Amino acid sequence: MEGLVYIALFAPFASSLFAALFGMTERKIFVGIVASTLLATAFIASAMLAFYVHGTGNAVHVTMMDWISAGDLHIPFGFIVDQVSVTMMVVVTLVSTIVHIYSIGYMDHDKSFNRFFSYLSAFVFSMMILVMSDNFAGLFIGWEGVGVCSWLLIGFWYHKPDVSREENPSISPSWAANEAFIMNRIADLGMLIGLFILYWNIGSLQYDKVFAAVPFLDGTVLNAAALALFIGAMGKSAQFPLHTWLTDAMEGPTPVSALIHAATMVTAGVFLVIRANPLFSLTPEVSYFIAALGTFVAFFAASMALVNRDLKRIIAFSTLSQLGYMFAAAGLGAYWIALFHLAAHAFFKALLFLGAGNVMHAMHDELDIFKMGGLKKVMKWTYLYMGIASLALAGIPFFAGFFSKDAIIETAWNEGTIVLWAILVITAGMTAFYSFRQVFLTFEGDERYKKYGIHPHEMYGYVLVAMSPLAILAMVAGFGMKGFEHFVTKLLPDYHMSEHTHHIAWFLGLVVLAFAVGGIVLAYKKYYHGLKRDEQLENSWYYKLLANQYYIPVLYEEFIAKPYAMISNAMWTKVDMKIVDATVDGIAKFLYKTGDTSRKMQTGNLSNYLNWMAVGAVLLLVVAAISAAAIG
Amino acid sequence: MDNILSVLIFFPAIAGLLGFVVDKKSARAYGITVATIEFLLSLWLWFSFDTGNAGMQFVEMIPLIPDFGVNFYLGVDGISLFIILMTTLMTLIGMVSMSIEKDVKNMIITLLFLEMTMVGVFVALDAIVFYLFWELSLVPMLYIIGAWGGPLRVYAAVKFFLYTFMGSLVMLVGMLFVAYVYHSLTGVWSFAITDWYALVLPVNYQLWLFAAFFLGFAIKVPMFPFHTWLPYAHGQAPTIGSVILAAVLLKMGTYGFVRFSLPMFPDASVMMITPIAVLAIIMIIYTAMVAYAQKDMKQVIAYSSVSHMGIIMIGIFAMNAEGIGGSVFQMLSHGIVSGALFMLVGIIYDRRHTKLMSEFGGLASVMPKYAVIFGIMLMASVGLPLTIGFVGEFLVLLGFYEISPVMTVLAGTSIIIGAVYMLSVYKKSFFGPVTKEENKTLKDLTPRETWSLIPLVAIVVWLGVYPKPVLDPINKSVNAMLVFMEEKAITAEAKDIIKVPQSATTAGEVK
Repeated sequence: MEGLVYIALFAPFASSLFAALFGMTERKIFVGIVASTLLATAFIASAMLAFYVHGTGNAVHVTMMDWISAGDLHIPFGFIVDQVSVTMMVVVTLVSTIVHIYSIGYMDHDKSFNRFFSYLSAFVFSMMILVMSDNFAGLFIGWEGVGVCSWLLIGFWYHKPDVSREENPSISPSWAANEAFIMNRIADLGMLIGLFILYWNIGSLQYDKVFAAVPFLDGTVLNAAALALFIGAMGKSAQFPLHTWLTDAMEGPTPVSALIHAATMVTAGVFLVIRANPLFSLTPEVSYFIAALGTFVAFFAASMALVNRDLKRIIAFSTLSQLGYMFAAAGLGAYWIALFHLAAHAFFKALLFLGAGNVMHAMHDELDIFKMGGLKKVMKWTYLYMGIASLALAGIPFFAGFFSKDAIIETAWNEGTIVLWAILVITAGMTAFYSFRQVFLTFEGDERYKKYGIHPHEMYGYVLVAMSPLAILAMVAGFGMKGFEHFVTKLLPDYHMSEHTHHIAWFLGLVVLAFAVGGIVLAYKKYYHGLKRDEQLENSWYYKLLANQYYIPVLYEEFIAKPYAMISNAMWTKVDMKIVDATVDGIAKFLYKTGDTSRKMQTGNLSNYLNWMAVGAVLLLVVAAISAAAIG
Repeated sequence: MDNILSVLIFFPAIAGLLGFVVDKKSARAYGITVATIEFLLSLWLWFSFDTGNAGMQFVEMIPLIPDFGVNFYLGVDGISLFIILMTTLMTLIGMVSMSIEKDVKNMIITLLFLEMTMVGVFVALDAIVFYLFWELSLVPMLYIIGAWGGPLRVYAAVKFFLYTFMGSLVMLVGMLFVAYVYHSLTGVWSFAITDWYALVLPVNYQLWLFAAFFLGFAIKVPMFPFHTWLPYAHGQAPTIGSVILAAVLLKMGTYGFVRFSLPMFPDASVMMITPIAVLAIIMIIYTAMVAYAQKDMKQVIAYSSVSHMGIIMIGIFAMNAEGIGGSVFQMLSHGIVSGALFMLVGIIYDRRHTKLMSEFGGLASVMPKYAVIFGIMLMASVGLPLTIGFVGEFLVLLGFYEISPVMTVLAGTSIIIGAVYMLSVYKKSFFGPVTKEENKTLKDLTPRETWSLIPLVAIVVWLGVYPKPVLDPINKSVNAMLVFMEEKAITAEAKDIIKVPQSATTAGEVK
């Protein structure tokens, strides 16, 4: 089994190195094929490990070598494959393999084709370290590793110039990449502090030791550690107020958005909370905060998706919103439900993004859904895929999202947090509306793209075939829910609905369904038959508020970025040059001047010297008299 | 080789003297050969170093002025060993990558003398010998800045010299006073640091002496507010000068704190934790902000050096093995990474004769190899895990958390603001379209440049993934030092704060 662990972990690394060898040469199709094969190998190894863990119920634990040891701190490169990590491994490698194959088609005209595969595989390697590590420091390696790969991939088309925010809300790929990296770093500091708290109170960063020790720790320590770790999770999973980077990250190539900014990396925060569930279940206040923030983000992000016109940004907002759902479940203690939604979401959201990628490929990188319409005639398969994904996202029976999202909403009811429940239900309605607004505006109605002289075409056949596993999973994954629960609750705490909730579950489900169907019907009425723009609505203040993301990016720029630059500049030109350095030079000048002045005493004239001697003698006498008086 | 340390000190100097007879054309090859031999000797030192021993090794003692107890007394332990290796490595690599055409022979000879003084500082166990090498190291650097520098070179060189010289004079007074106290207590004169360690000084003596040594070391580090000589020196120095200055000369200051201040004045060091940590945090945050405001690429790296030295300072005063060990490791990491970054800036300067970032833009498109190596060094500089930069920074912050969580959060902002200025440099210089006509035809790295950078890249990755071979000996010596400090401390506060790791007490490493 150890061999399989290393194959699953290092096959993506090998793929990345292989592609890097050709990183500076022109497109070589075999680079994509080799990379995809290696990724498929990692997937097969992960799947075999999953069977093993499922069959035996045992975890596989390997320690490769020492990493850092100083003082009492010992951090090994250790990996654990248990029910939670193997779930993540299977999801990550499956989606990655599909995205790799997809990218062979999607990136076929890009001159940096080989470089792309190198980055993409490096990302998968980092993600595997993140989910497989048996300690918090190892998790942090993966955590930062995915951050760097995300930086590289968002800024993949680094040569594009900066433009104004009106022209492109993300300004430029390199700008968006830096924003993502820096925002994540803010959260990472929180995460590091969390590690320090755990280390100084427990003496280890190994999961098993930490989780064995947390029940004996003081409540304030636990709360501090849980909160600090959650701040880390907020960055990676783009929770408010660190959420703006995720939509800007859409500057990256679409396969990247599908893999990193929907299916895998952004769920790392949720994974952390699930992984550290022994800690979070001891801190009810922090957990409730997580649930409340998650619920808020679910609604907040969905509201911005309602009016957005950018194909990818709508999906990005929807990702944010679904991450909110996951945090709501994890915060309420339903860890396995959060993990289930994470997996289901990975499948249908990746599918949705890849579908959007097909549309972009067809539309020559046009993203404005107001300029699309009627694409179903030329892109039947893509329409079908995106339709399935949207149905799953909206939570229509018996697609994947129906099971997972319903369970989360039911949990909110079960915990008696009726406000959270109500918000999540309303959000479900909004989700259905914006998903189908997007689908209808893209594929139905009049062919608005003709005005712009675009001749769309369907994606290559092999790419469509590669996407099919995701489509199938988006349809059927929900039926595996019982088995999944049975599997992961060997490790995670089981979560059961109360008797009362159980009785009215059918009613609760019906309420959610009513909202979801209502959302779709509304979208159908407004957008199915084409785009009718409502000037009055679009000029209203609330529409503008939503379209501008509550003006939060502008606020960040005006009140954080610009003042920081201004203060930095003042520090340099005013403080460093004019105060600190000038003082040094001033002292030096003073010494020089006094030396220069006193030099004049040395005139060579004997009577002058005698005069000075007299002055000195008098001074000494005075000093002697004063000190004698003081002592006496 | 019993006297390997003397050989390490004097081989480059003697070879430097012989260099006067070498003809101009082969001066460079001669210098590289000498530096290579020196580097191999230091490697030999590492391989024959007994990693199980925490004390001083390869000790040599030749009486110089027996009446005053001044000896030519040398030795290495885990703390100094790797700084010596870094010194010989960076001198070699600096020489290989050097692009200077003017007076190459003089430069080679100067560098070899500089190497002597640097190695001397790190192996000296006698305060007078230490002081001599410490001051001597100023002269070659003064000459390098003054003779090969930019337009303001004389001002920068004199400022560098006077500023650091003044600080070390105060330190010299402190040293003489320690020797005097030693004499009055024991009746014999000694300048041996190991003898001084045994002195248990009253707290008020410790405080005054700490202050005297502090001035000498702090200006060298350079700590805020004594840092302003550094941007001038870097701004005017040629690339090779900046590389050595950042990689090695600054480390003398932090090394001094570990070698002198901590073990000699444990109580004063503990009492000074807060003031020094405050200065260090100002260093970290303030200079990182100043770095962000710079328009000149080299100045960004110069100020970032100061900011990173703040991390090293805070780690030294963490008073536990994690922090101090991390600090010593960070000295190496900073040496390698900032040295490489200065070399990288030098490479673009050689091509464009400007360091202004507004002149660049889109370099990644025209110089992809250069961009990759710069990117790796950038990531090491911001402390990405699995690069050399993470290990030290992580251990330092972890260590200092035990002293003060709040101050650790403040110091930890370095991982954010460090990313802010470094990524902004990268974006301005490497990303975006190529706007300037001159940049469109830039040549990527030459083989010489590539091969002088590749070893550094390899070290950055190697010690990031597997720091154990370096970290273990450091950790051993740091543990021994902590055991010793804890025993020697006289105030209850110091005994409480100095934390000996459990592994060191149980394994019986107490010496």
